[in-house]
Amino acid sequence: MKQKPFLYVLIALIALTLLSAMVSNSEIVYAKELIMILAALKFLAVAFYFMELKQSNRFWKVLLVSFLTIFISLFLII
Amino acid sequence: MSTIIQEHHSKNILYPPGGILMWIIIYLELITFGAVLIAMVLYSKDEPELFHQSRLQLNTTFGAINTLFLLVSGFFMALTVGALKINNIPKSKLYLKLTMFGGFLFLGLKTVEYIDKIDAGLTMGYNTFFSFYWMLTLFHVIHVLVGLVILASVLRTMIKKPEKLILEDVEASATFWHMCDLIWLLLFPVIYLIF
Repeated sequence: MKQKPFLYVLIALIALTLLSAMVSNSEIVYAKELIMILAALKFLAVAFYFMELKQSNRFWKVLLVSFLTIFISLFLII
Repeated sequence: MSTIIQEHHSKNILYPPGGILMWIIIYLELITFGAVLIAMVLYSKDEPELFHQSRLQLNTTFGAINTLFLLVSGFFMALTVGALKINNIPKSKLYLKLTMFGGFLFLGLKTVEYIDKIDAGLTMGYNTFFSFYWMLTLFHVIHVLVGLVILASVLRTMIKKPEKLILEDVEASATFWHMCDLIWLLLFPVIYLIF
């Protein structure tokens, strides 16, 4: 079993979480948009690597990415 | 070792990792949580200052630490399945225990956070923001509790009857556990960071 890819993903997820918290405490103009993009990246990393969606049929990937796109778009448009 | 390792048909549309039923549940759950979060944003447009002031009363550090607990727990869950695929039951057992430990840490910190809020009088009926906060986070906590019960049942089988362990069942349990991560990854930024 290859543990290293999972470990790299975990490190990236932790870094993105810390970055989200930092952005939220900053005065960046597009903080809301940036936080949601970081959340989307973490969401996709968990789904594609930890849940092994990367190895599944394209249908399931498209469905998940579509959900995320609609959610983030609605969130930012409203 | 008689763990059943079945060939995966992962590229087949009917066999996503964890099983088709679990993925249907995941999409339904994501749509439900997503719809409530969008409703929360809509309500925040009527009372932006109230939502902002209420959000500032949440402990962002607790939220971030809880995110880390769930992410590390998810990492060990992925390792559990990986170890099981190569029939390494002892390692799989260890990783599963670490996964569950992460879940318990999450629940422990959430309990501390809830006690803080209740002591401060910030209960469900306090205002619109806290109605959403309690509804969404409690519903998520219920999922984590259900996930822990499922993982405890897998661990029990691993310890007592490893010959009856079925990889697909463990994968389905893992997928449910990861779903708790996915939901939290949407809740955390919206509730704790944005308003």
